[in-house]
Order: sequence, then C-alpha cells, then structure tokens
Amino acid sequence: MQIAEIDLSRYSNQYSSYTELRLHENRLLNISLLNGDIVSNMQDTNGGVSARVFDQGAWGFSSNPNATNDAIEATIQAATRNAEFLAKRGGDPDVHLPSSKASANSDSNTRKPRKSQDEIIAFLKSIDEYVGEHCPDIVARQVILNCLDMEKKLQTSDGSAGHNTNSRAIIAVKLTTRNEAGDPIELSQAIGDRGQFEDVFESPERIHNAVDELYKHLMNKKTAVKPVSGYHDVILASDLAGILAHEAIGHTTEADIVREGSIAGDYLGERVASDLVTLIDFANSHNGEVLPMPIYMDDEGVESLDAVLIENGILKSFMHNKDSAQHFGMPLTGNARAFSYTDEPLIRMRNTAILPGKDKLEDMIASIDDGYLLMRPTNGQADTTSEFMFGVQMGYEIKNGKLGHAITDTTISGVAFDMLKEVTMLSDEMEWGCAGMCGKKQPMPVGMGGPAVKTKVYIGGE
Amino acid sequence: MTNKAIAQDTLAKISKAGFAHAATRIVSEEFHELQAENGAINLMRTNFETDVAITGIKDQKKASLSVNKTDPETLDSTVDTLSDMARGASPDEAYGIAEHQPSETFDAGPSEPDYDRMYDRIVEVQDYAKNQYPDLHFGSVAITFGNRRSVYVNSNDVLFESRRGVYQVSTMFTSKKGKKTSSMNYFGYSAYDLDTPIREMMNADELMRQSTEQTETQNIPGKFNGDMIITPNALGSFVGFLTGKIGDGALISGTSVYKDKLGEAVTSDKLTLRSCPVDADVCSGYWVTGDGYKAENSTILEDGVLNSYLLGLYGANKTGLPRAVNAGGCYQVDGGDLALADMISGVEQGILIARFSGGNPNDRGDFSGIAKNSYYIKDGKIQFPIKETTVSGNMVSLLKSVKAVSRERVNFGSSIFPWVLTEGVTAS
Repeated sequence: MQIAEIDLSRYSNQYSSYTELRLHENRLLNISLLNGDIVSNMQDTNGGVSARVFDQGAWGFSSNPNATNDAIEATIQAATRNAEFLAKRGGDPDVHLPSSKASANSDSNTRKPRKSQDEIIAFLKSIDEYVGEHCPDIVARQVILNCLDMEKKLQTSDGSAGHNTNSRAIIAVKLTTRNEAGDPIELSQAIGDRGQFEDVFESPERIHNAVDELYKHLMNKKTAVKPVSGYHDVILASDLAGILAHEAIGHTTEADIVREGSIAGDYLGERVASDLVTLIDFANSHNGEVLPMPIYMDDEGVESLDAVLIENGILKSFMHNKDSAQHFGMPLTGNARAFSYTDEPLIRMRNTAILPGKDKLEDMIASIDDGYLLMRPTNGQADTTSEFMFGVQMGYEIKNGKLGHAITDTTISGVAFDMLKEVTMLSDEMEWGCAGMCGKKQPMPVGMGGPAVKTKVYIGGE
Repeated sequence: MTNKAIAQDTLAKISKAGFAHAATRIVSEEFHELQAENGAINLMRTNFETDVAITGIKDQKKASLSVNKTDPETLDSTVDTLSDMARGASPDEAYGIAEHQPSETFDAGPSEPDYDRMYDRIVEVQDYAKNQYPDLHFGSVAITFGNRRSVYVNSNDVLFESRRGVYQVSTMFTSKKGKKTSSMNYFGYSAYDLDTPIREMMNADELMRQSTEQTETQNIPGKFNGDMIITPNALGSFVGFLTGKIGDGALISGTSVYKDKLGEAVTSDKLTLRSCPVDADVCSGYWVTGDGYKAENSTILEDGVLNSYLLGLYGANKTGLPRAVNAGGCYQVDGGDLALADMISGVEQGILIARFSGGNPNDRGDFSGIAKNSYYIKDGKIQFPIKETTVSGNMVSLLKSVKAVSRERVNFGSSIFPWVLTEGVTAS
C-alpha cells in the first residue's frame, strides 16, 4: 500500500456528519537470537483504511485491509451506517464534538541507504558474539531486535490533514547466569531510540557498553540479598521514575479513566504531590530535543499539545480526546491515538516524565541511612485508586549513605498520590526511555522519562 | 479466488523460489463490536481483516513473513522478500514443517452476529447493575463477534480449513461511594451464543457485588504466613508460571526449573491441568497448531505429575524431547471434591485472592505482588476486603503446596478453573 499516493481529500463529499478517514500501515521487523540460534526471523506488514463517524453522541467505525477506491468508499459507508444504527437506538442530538483543524507532516524514514536483512542479521550476530566473548559466566543469552514503523495519513471533516510516520528500533539483551545454589539469575535491558535501524544503530559500541554494564550488575546479582519487606526510603532511578510517571500517575489522569472513576477526578486543583514534583505528558519535544514518541497531530486531527498534569505538586489537568474534552468542557490536548488501522483512537500518553530537580544522585544516596536504590523495572500496573505495582529486577541496598549488596528480584508498591507527597529529592539529570509499550486495550509505543527520585515505597518480600 | 486457492498458489510460488519446505496460512475475519462506555452504547464497529503468513526453509535457513493483502503483486513481492530474509539467516537442522496429515475441515459457531441481541444484552447488564448495585460504574461493556476463516497448507501436502464464529464479552468496572473508590475489576468470557444474560455467566454477579463492598477496604491485621485461596479469576496468573516454563524458550535456553522433570511430580497431587483446544466446552480454541499439526487435547499435569512439555516442532527438534500435541492454552484444572464454602471454613488465617497484580516471577519462581479485589479470611470466615496487601512466595513451592481444589469451577469459554487452596504464602 503506497499511502503517499492516495489522496484522501477526494472523499470529503461522502461525509454526512463528523468523519475521520485514516490510512494506516504498521511495519514490524523481529529477529531473535537465543544462544546464537535465530529463533525468529520475521516481518509483518499490516495496514488498511479506517473511517470513524460521529452521529448524535455515538461512533460508527469500519476498516478494510484494502485501500482501493471502492474499499475506501465502502468503509466510509459502513462506518456511517454503524453510527446511524446507534443514533436511532439511543442518540443524543445535543452532543456535539469540539471542532479542531490542524495540519502536520513528519517523516521518520532514514535518509541513509536501507540495510539488507543479511546486514541486520550480521549486526545482531556480532552483538551475540560480543556477549559470548565478554560475558563468560552466563548460561543463556538472548538478543532480540524489534523495529516498528507506524505510518498514518489522516483527513477529517473538520479540515484536518496530515501524513506522519513514527519509527523506533530496539535491541533487547537478556543474560542468565547461575548462583552458587545453581538457581538461574537473569537481567535484561532494552537499548534503542526513535528512528529506523540505520539511524539508531550506526555502530555497535552503544550496545557493547550496555552489555558490559548489564553483565557487571548480573555478576553482582549472583550474590544478591533479599530486600527486607516493608516501607523504606528509596531512590527510584530514572527507568523507574519513567514507569512511575506513566503507570501510576499518567493513567489515572487520562480523562476516559477519570470518567470511569479514577481517583484523580476528585483531586483536580488539589495537592497530590510534594511541590518538587512537576509531571508533563509532552507532545513531541522538550528543551529543543525531539522526544522518543513525537506526535504533532493526533488521530482525531487535533494539534498535539503538552499536557501539564501536575505542576509543583498540584493536579492541574487531564489528557483528552474530543469525547472527553466535550464531556468535561476542557481544552483539547491531542492525545487520541490508534495502534492499528482496525482500531479507534483512544486517549494515550506520548512522552510522560517527571521534570528533574537540583540534587546530585550521589548526595541523594548519601542522604539515606537504610534503604534501597532501585534501578530497573520489569513490568508495571496501576489502578484507578492510583495504587501501583512495579517489578524490579535490579537494585542495591543503601547502608549509611553508601551502596551495598545487590538485591534479588522484588516488587514495589504504593498509592501514587500518597507516595508523591513523600518525594524529598530529585536529581538534576533526566533520562528518556523509548522501549515502552503501553497496553490499554490496544498496544501503543510510548516514551517515558524522569530524574532519580527519592521517596518511600513498600518493598515486597517474605 | 478463494483463500484456499490463494494459499495454494502462494505455496507454489514459495516452492518455485527454491524453498525446500514451505507453509502458508491465510486467516480472514469479519469482526463486529458494540461497546458501551460509562453507561451509553457509543461505538459500533465492523472490520474486515486478512492475514497471510508464509514460512520458507531453504538450505535449512528459515524466514517468516506476514502481510494483510492477497493481491498477486503483494504476494509476489512477499515471496521475493522471504528469499532475501532466508539468505541472511543461519542454518539450523531443527527447522521443519509439519509432516503429511489427512486433510480436514472444521466448523463451529454462528456465521452472523445478532446485533439486536448484542445491544439488548449490554443494556440489560447495565440496567441490572444500576438497580442492584447503584455504586457500581461500568467503564466499559463490550460484545464482539468474530467470524474467522482459516486455511493452512504446506509443502508436505497438508491442508486444513476451519471456520469459527464466536462472541466475546468483556467488562471493566469500579465502584465509587463519595470519594472512596474500589479497585477496578473486570470479567470476560467467550460463547457461541448470547442466550444467557451476562450477569448469569461465570461468577459475574458475585464480582459485581464484591466490587460495591470493596469501596470500604482495610489493612490486614499484620504480616502473616498462611493460606491463600486463589479464585478462578486469578488462577491463570499462577498456572501461567508453569506453562511458561515448559515451552520452547525456557527449555531451549536450559533455564527452566522444570527441565528434566518429565514424568516427575512437580506440583501437589491435587492438581490436574489439561490443555483442551478442541474441547466442545471451549469456544476460544483452535484445531491446528501454528506449525501445522492437527491439535489434540492433552493432560499436562496428572495428579501433579508432569506428563507433557509444551514444545512446538522447533523446540522438540532442538531439545530432542517429544513435541506437544497442541500449542497450549485453553487450560482446564480438574475440580476437586471440596465445596468452596467448606474450603473457606477450613482456613484459619489467609487471603482470598481474586486478582494478582504482580511483577513477572523470576526464573526461579519468586514472586510478589498486590492482592487486588481480595479478602482477609480468619477463623473460617471471610472478614473484609483488603487494601495495599502484598502477597509473596515462590511459584514452584506454591503449586506444590496446593491442599485442596474446589468442586465448583468457572467456565470462561477459553479456560475452566476452580478455586484452589494453597499454603505458605506471606501476606503483609
């Protein structure tokens, strides 16, 4: 499907009420090496056309994998019929969506010559060989490449139009060793960035450095001690601060989740965090830097704007699509995104981060007598109550202001709006992660980031 | 052209491109959905979806590719790309495709959605909750219907065709009383028809009732090591550890705690676990595995003894162990002989866990996480819904410590699970 060659404006005379018409193609490359063997060598290209029509408070949606003229017209007609079906059975003629007109075009395709599959596999094999040579005390190794391009062309009956492509390339490395008891001990890390393979992995040096670092921590973890369960002073490194921003706070402030009963709905304008904390869902850039998941116009044709969720500890706003902005009477933020051509746009985060403070990480560690430095998450979940849980695969004790033993895998939990009030220090450096894949009904690539955060959390364990 | 003709034509193209072994699967689906959000039905969806997945092995180098177009130009180009992909791959003697089997056709479920009934069932459950549980708020209620046709062919003269039409019901809800909010909860199931009201399916009504009382939660009295009753809604989180460690990845890498345990007792003898993709009670099953074998039901654990790994063809060739007769999923745990009420009354101190929000257990099976939508049990009685309670332990030990399995089971359409009583779990 050549999206660039299809003119969507020619269908605008077929819109009978508010309509979004989207061409959308996702291209995925996955290559996995397990102990040097290629266990996955696959490509997937999935795309088509979708139409979404709004009629008296209800949406009709339809999609088709073909983007021929006939298929596009049939898709618009099917979506229109679906909206009319619902409008007749329970429509509300007084519901009107806010109007918005925007235009955005962006292209993440590399300007360099594309690498062949042979060259990409050779690159991954060189990483695998590096692991084999430099990590002698491992019993299993995995090197996994995932590249995703999302190309979308949108036209709305409000007059919005745009053609945007977002790409990211991630290599995940997982190493497994055994401790003295013979138990498997593992650590993994994702390395990557926005852009296509050719731009992100110009040389293997970046991955070599990450492998060296990962192996060092894995060897420390062989003699790890169990953390003591209970509430502790902790420093959440930036990887964990990012997932905290996304999972524990971000989701509670998505306006559709607020409508479903999120606790954030009761605290707008109130203090929910220490005044050190400012948390923003950035649309596309910050301080002149383009962020991991830059969105300039969302899939409802709304200009994407930064959403300041918490400012100096006060809950300031929510993230919106057209439905929720209409319901709450609040400004649009441009957060509506769909993962596939078969999906309707939902309120999704883009680049969610806690802003850095003024503290040095070494001072933060020195300020803790008995606590933990928690460095790398596995997974995370949160609730409408803002209660959260994250798996932690790497961390260290802090004893008398100094790092101690590595700790075994654990989980941390807490109530975000309580825990944020306990934040007493923020480091002056922040890092962005690009490997996030949010799972709210549809998968969605997201960016998340933050500084190191000193606070209190509950550490699980026996 | 029919999908069968396109699949056979594509297979011929792959073989002509020099692949010694080739396979093609084409799936097309008409997908229909009605969704309510916040009490109003506000989305009706009709999708037409196609997926063409092709695999080729040349000089024992393997590549796989999928596209969602069936026009000849796209498929020609796809086969060319497959050749490029295989050229860069490494040879591995373990790659293969399913050997010859007699052709078969499978069929189940309706072909068309009943939109009126879909609409009415959503309205009905929302009205019921509004009257019966006024504090409960449905964030979403959705009913989908998918009519999926699949054809699989490979160069060993294998041909399987199938069609299945099935409804999926999913809900998400919280309860709110003033500023007090319950944890979110959800239920879902699949079914061939919508003859039964949603509230009467599974344990749906009980979950809705529990949600309304979960706006008033309490901390457990203190840290303790005791029993845990795992509800059918949470059991998948625990069984999933075992099934995840007996598949290709964990066994090929050699890191599985169940390595070399075939034929040995690995869990309590109270547990019998089956994978039943072709069971008549399971409407989210499958008839053909991903690597092209006709699927059969299997018993993975019988009275705690590990009867079968879940190895596909590649994993079996790589490890020298037997290939599983299915690709896993559609799990059923056999019911026991104890009534749930008797199970609860036998617990001195423990947790009734209805949803586990936990970190991924490590390879050893160590886990910890939050017991959501869960209850504190003391002296044989459910006392109160709990908050901020962490449960921790080890998955391997937990499965060995199962003391009883309930007579009652819940059918989710994809799996059938009982309540399971285990011990030695730390709650804090």
